[in-house]
Amino acid sequence: MKVTVCIGSSCHLKGSRQVVEALQGLISDNNLKDSVELGGTFCMGNCQQGVCVTVDGELYSVSPETVDEFFEENILSRAK
Amino acid sequence: MNKLCADIGYRSIFHDGEELCGDHVDVIEQEDGSTVVVLADGLGSGVKASILSTLTSKIISTMIAAGLSLEDCVQTIAATLPVCSERHVAYSTFTIMRIVDSNEAELIQYDNPAVILLRDGEEYDYPKTELSIEGKKIFQSRIRLCENDVFVLMSDGCPHAGIGTEYNFGWQREDIAEFMKTFYPVGYTAKTLSTILIDECNRLYGGKPGDDATACVVRIRRREPMNLLFGPPSNRDDCDKMMSLFFSKEGKHIICGGTTSTIAAKYLGKPLKPKLEFVDKDVPPIAEIEGVDLVTEGVITINKVLSYAKDYLSDNESYSQWGVKRDGASLICRLLFEEATDINFFVGRAINPAHQNPDLPINFNIKMQLVTELSDCLKKMGKRIKVSYF
Repeated sequence: MKVTVCIGSSCHLKGSRQVVEALQGLISDNNLKDSVELGGTFCMGNCQQGVCVTVDGELYSVSPETVDEFFEENILSRAK
Repeated sequence: MNKLCADIGYRSIFHDGEELCGDHVDVIEQEDGSTVVVLADGLGSGVKASILSTLTSKIISTMIAAGLSLEDCVQTIAATLPVCSERHVAYSTFTIMRIVDSNEAELIQYDNPAVILLRDGEEYDYPKTELSIEGKKIFQSRIRLCENDVFVLMSDGCPHAGIGTEYNFGWQREDIAEFMKTFYPVGYTAKTLSTILIDECNRLYGGKPGDDATACVVRIRRREPMNLLFGPPSNRDDCDKMMSLFFSKEGKHIICGGTTSTIAAKYLGKPLKPKLEFVDKDVPPIAEIEGVDLVTEGVITINKVLSYAKDYLSDNESYSQWGVKRDGASLICRLLFEEATDINFFVGRAINPAHQNPDLPINFNIKMQLVTELSDCLKKMGKRIKVSYF
């Protein structure tokens, strides 16, 4: 599974660093390092919905507050 | 174009309790391509010393720039400077360095500590001729310049540092030469070298300088062109034109901006690989494109670079940060401040609709303002700047 987080200007200001760090932590805590590939990308053109995160190409809007929920629903459930 | 150029930087500390500096440095670039550096140290400290040294350096730099002889300059100074009511003398010592075509330097020294020249990592003893003008003993030298020569001009506040506390007779000129030798191989800029020297003086003075102390460093170095691409062109059809102009330039290539780097990656037919390392919490991660020396995010990173540039021109306190850190802004600073001498900016004027949100501090006007301010700062660092808009 490939998870990509936008690290462009707009998403950066909306907290992409916190989102990336949270996801890195969650992925290693759940031993998903082998099945989830976390990557970064520059602007995806959806700045209004930042922080933009895609899971296998599907776009989600995530914020530092919702990252745990997002992880459970869209990464943990699918990866297992 | 001559391959060599002079990187000039200086820094002063004031006599404890004074608000003005009694030393003054002037750097004049002349139309014929030569540069005149004057370091003057006025008698005493405070307002009087400041007036004396400012007048001296302005008179000398203006007259030399106008092609007048040294004798005329010295005579004019002697006749013009106001006489101190307490000491009944008008007095300011000075060092003049004139760099012609970046391959020859003329040094004229009057009563300041003798200029230190470091060549190939060692102190180089250059010949001096003694002249007597208006009863003043003046030393003149002509020196053929070599790449990596480092000249250290200073006021007597430097060798006087630490008198009676750290050293019996202050920090001797030889000690200063030894001290500066240790930093020679690192490749610091002239500004940073002068800051290191002055910081050390301040330390020896125990943070309370007993005299104004100024160091001016002139580093002879090879010209190094650099190119920075920032923002996509306002007209989409100009992408290829902008990219081909940018990539055809000699020197290193820096690309700032997410959309901009996507366009560049497409133009080069290479993948854009963003990294996920947050080295500095304020600066977004960098990316990689094969064939590009550095790829970073745009506005936030450049904003950080600008704040470093402003500090570099004033107190230069943050060189210990951008000098070593691995975030995008620090990497740009090292390339622009330390490596580059001639910088071409390729600025795209496309408006990113997502950035025109009043909640975000990154709108179009701010972006254009950043370019103007940053190029002004770089010009003040002595760089040649060319900005092209697309």
